[in-house]
Amino acid sequence: MPTTTLRWALLAPGLAIIAALLVAPIGFMVVQSFHPFVAGRVGSGSGWTLTNYAELIGPAYAFYFYDTFRIGFIVSALAVALGAPLAWTAARTRRRPLRVALLGLLIGLLFMSLVAKLYAIQMTWGSTGPLAFFGTLIGIPARSAQYAEVQVMIGLLHFVLPVAALILIGTFQNINPRLEEAAASLGAERARVALDVTIPLALPGLVSAFMIAFAMCISNFVVPLVLGRGVVLFTTNLMYTRLTEIANYPSGAAIGIVMLVLAGAIVCTMTLIASRLTPGARP
Amino acid sequence: MTSPRATASIAADRAAGALFRVLLVGTVIFLLLPIVVSVFLSFDDREYLGAFPPKNFSLRWYRGFLDNPAYLDGLKNSIKLALVATLVSTAAGSTAAFVLSEARWRGRGFIEMLFLSPKFVPTVVIGFSILGFAAAINVFDPFTRLVMGHIVITIPFTVRATLASLVGMRRSLTEAAISLGAPPWRAFLDVTLPLARTGVIAGALMAFALSFDEVAVSLFLSDAFTQTLPIALVAEMRANLNLTVAAVSTVFAAVTILVVVLLDRLTGLDTVIGQGLYR
Repeated sequence: MPTTTLRWALLAPGLAIIAALLVAPIGFMVVQSFHPFVAGRVGSGSGWTLTNYAELIGPAYAFYFYDTFRIGFIVSALAVALGAPLAWTAARTRRRPLRVALLGLLIGLLFMSLVAKLYAIQMTWGSTGPLAFFGTLIGIPARSAQYAEVQVMIGLLHFVLPVAALILIGTFQNINPRLEEAAASLGAERARVALDVTIPLALPGLVSAFMIAFAMCISNFVVPLVLGRGVVLFTTNLMYTRLTEIANYPSGAAIGIVMLVLAGAIVCTMTLIASRLTPGARP
Repeated sequence: MTSPRATASIAADRAAGALFRVLLVGTVIFLLLPIVVSVFLSFDDREYLGAFPPKNFSLRWYRGFLDNPAYLDGLKNSIKLALVATLVSTAAGSTAAFVLSEARWRGRGFIEMLFLSPKFVPTVVIGFSILGFAAAINVFDPFTRLVMGHIVITIPFTVRATLASLVGMRRSLTEAAISLGAPPWRAFLDVTLPLARTGVIAGALMAFALSFDEVAVSLFLSDAFTQTLPIALVAEMRANLNLTVAAVSTVFAAVTILVVVLLDRLTGLDTVIGQGLYR
């Protein structure tokens, strides 16, 4: 067993990295977010202010947060709804090649470059793509401005669906298949088994898959940047434009702090809900 | 003899089964189709972006990639950056993981959380905060800034992968070596290290892949002269849709398939995911 000194010596490089590249920069950002912005000057002015936070409550900015959350919510719900059948099949099938193919597809998509995937989506669903008719079908033509939102949703769904499905595979694998079989042998139809046995038992997993997908969506930057065509902007994109277009570091910092707090709140809620819903966790 | 009610319930059951299958097949098509389309388009012989499917095929977009200095520069920077970041975060991350795998000691949980925390911070926040902080400590070299950002986003993955392989390992093996008279450092080098090797390698692979594909952090920390490949590609996609990106995507997809097949051959995808309790 290593001594305490050796232990800290081995931890030191990693801790130094976290301190210098995560804690210190974020601390710097917190301080900056309370400094006033002086136009035409790189960096921030002196003195302390809450203006950077106050202006986020205004309707112009609140709208970005609303849009980000709304799209994130829809996409995460879809990811769980579409990921569940995929995960259930991979977890329960007796055909090994099918299981390996589904696992391979999900893991492959997880490893594949997001930039490459977004490009492929633009080629397929964009106005020259073979699936552009989908827009006309739902009454939002592929050339219209609103279609950007549809494309952002498709891009995000492509990004989070494999993650949600992989989480759910773990969930379904840990539900005893005997319970489903018992319900079926007592005469329950498949839909009944799913609604009354599988889904209630899988609820903690479904909730955490949703929350992780949601956290991934609202903190995403690249999908709206590439597929949003400037029409759909997430809070992450707002942070970037605050910096590149008007060099307003304090305002961007305030947005970042709000996002960080939200991300933390999601992680906490997720842990809380998952522990509440786990069968047998409550006395 | 089946009553009309039973017949109706059988029909409903069939319908539910059919709906399930449609959902399943639809989802798989949704996930796969874009990749198939872009692979086809990357071999398109037309000079412009035309309707799908292409009529003639050629390798012009692949040549276009090799002729574009912006891409080649980006590729070089991306590889260099991913190598440096992977090296540092694997070295620091796996040594930390060795300590974290030790039995309970005060503060262990907190330090583990600290090492995994960059995963929960939105990447834009990491890029944004390092940009400001680097300027404050007078670091203006874009490559140094990029390395700083990429180390911090990859370290949770190297810590976690090494930790997972060590937790799964039986502690008794190391203890056996020590009780047989091996000094602790000997037991570490001859027993612990070889057993943790897969975890360290898996962590390094994940770190490399993550760094190589990163956009948000890189966009904040790069400048007009030091670009990474993903940044160059995103810039191209936003400016004009051109099929060179399709060629790069196809190469990426091919590499991905290779990695997944290798992973399956090496450990089996079942082992990567785990079989669960009831299999």
